[in-house]
Amino acid sequence: MSVQPQTPDLDNDSMEDRLYTVKYDDPGDSHLDVKVTDVCAECETNDCVRVCPANVWREGDDGVPHIAYENCLECSSCRFACTYDNVVWTYPERGAGMTYKHG
Amino acid sequence: MSPELESDTVADPNYDDEFDAIVVGAGLAGSAAALTMANRGLEVLMIERGSSPGAKNVFGGVLYTPTIRELTDFENAPVERYVAERRFSMLTENDETAFSLRPGEWHEEPHNDSYTVLRGEFDEWFAEQAVEEGATLLTSTTVTGLLREDGRIAGVETDRPDGTIRAPYVVLAEGGNSLVSEGANLKATETRENVAVGVKEVLEFPERDGVIEDRFRLTDDAGVSYHYFGEGAVGDAFGGGFIYTNDDTVSVGVAYRIEDAATHDQSPEETLNAFKSHPAVAPLVRNARTVEYSAKTIPEGGADSIPDLVHDGAAIVGDAAGLVLNNGVHLEGTNMAVESGYHAGNAIARAAENGRVGAEALQVYPEALEESFVVQNLEHYKWMMDAVEEDRDLLFEDLPRAFADAGTEYFRIDRTPKESHAKNAKRAVLDAVGGWTGAAKLALRYRKVVT
Repeated sequence: MSVQPQTPDLDNDSMEDRLYTVKYDDPGDSHLDVKVTDVCAECETNDCVRVCPANVWREGDDGVPHIAYENCLECSSCRFACTYDNVVWTYPERGAGMTYKHG
Repeated sequence: MSPELESDTVADPNYDDEFDAIVVGAGLAGSAAALTMANRGLEVLMIERGSSPGAKNVFGGVLYTPTIRELTDFENAPVERYVAERRFSMLTENDETAFSLRPGEWHEEPHNDSYTVLRGEFDEWFAEQAVEEGATLLTSTTVTGLLREDGRIAGVETDRPDGTIRAPYVVLAEGGNSLVSEGANLKATETRENVAVGVKEVLEFPERDGVIEDRFRLTDDAGVSYHYFGEGAVGDAFGGGFIYTNDDTVSVGVAYRIEDAATHDQSPEETLNAFKSHPAVAPLVRNARTVEYSAKTIPEGGADSIPDLVHDGAAIVGDAAGLVLNNGVHLEGTNMAVESGYHAGNAIARAAENGRVGAEALQVYPEALEESFVVQNLEHYKWMMDAVEEDRDLLFEDLPRAFADAGTEYFRIDRTPKESHAKNAKRAVLDAVGGWTGAAKLALRYRKVVT
């Protein structure tokens, strides 16, 4: 119906650049995990991968997601998304993990 | 009596049994509770897992301040701008139909108690108000669980060397990702239909000064709150987009149900990109530099999702208690967090004065909350989420398109008499809603949104 509008091009940052804007202190160990890997292997929807706003959850070769925990913005979407309740989510300890400057 | 507030003091003082109350989380609900209790003479320990209050916190951006003003001197609070304009926008793929308000009254103090805020700075300031009243703040410390003794909650387990900290009362203000409350079976994990994922960018405009004022028609400390709905905001998901102006940055983001995020191929980041690229949005956010990218979950289950708020020795407040209102027009959470923290703090102070710790002694908290705007508003809009879910195609896709078409038709300039344009415009809307009967039903169903 409508004609192609005059829309200025946007230079959106890549995910990598976006995550660089957030200060990160590596706790050393992942604060995320899966409870039973077999559940992931049989899961066909990979909802954790779909909902993650930070590309933490990635499809793995064996059907079990790879977890890039150092990307995590600690939003917890994956925990709610998994219909098998198969996500292990713990708070990073001693102030580690991500820190927002603005928020 | 209370030890020093720094977490990194050499001695790592032992806090066990030193305090009347422990507050888990130094966000807005937690600091409101701590401030209220400290004001009433209690020794309060606030435990924050971030390196400073606000370090782990993010929200869209408007803080409503009536309760905060009652609790502390708001004069020096680090607000960004007051909200001088509210705009509600329906977006199709290419169209925008908007409704905007700029009442003169909003320019005057106290600015309708509505300010844009960035949480890093604000939460730190608010926690300081509690500390100034005598509360002790412990940062970079994670509460890993609750301590139970004789069947009641008697303190917290932490990641500190000495671990356990006992106190008669615990306020759970841990936010929407409430691992401690859930781990202690004080509340169930919310379903993904009732939780939204939000992603946001804070943008700055390095090209020159005055970009924000020019783009949003602002002077001095005035700011805007823009809300967007429909296909152009978050596709066919249940949610919306927002733009808020800060002092020298702009917050732009989207939030929509995790259920939709999980069943759509588009990631939250891609949804944000698509929203920013909409022809009505891109001119407002172009030529910007991203200074922060953030994400959070938002509990949107409403009145039915509020857990039992008091337990033997504990109270749940803020996002952890699911106290967020999203009815499409009003998006509120932080004001409800502060209100709940205030009432919980009062209830605990009263129970402490009477030397009682059971849930029944804290019952004045849920009672006061029931009487307050918090539960009243949530109850008032309880019906709405289900109705919107049922009508989602109509509300988020068909109606925005119908309004855009009707507007285009109504204002069409050609050599046809205006009467025929008006007729076409009317038909566009009526077709979408199912004729006059449909329109009447719709008006009836959603009248409570504005009344």
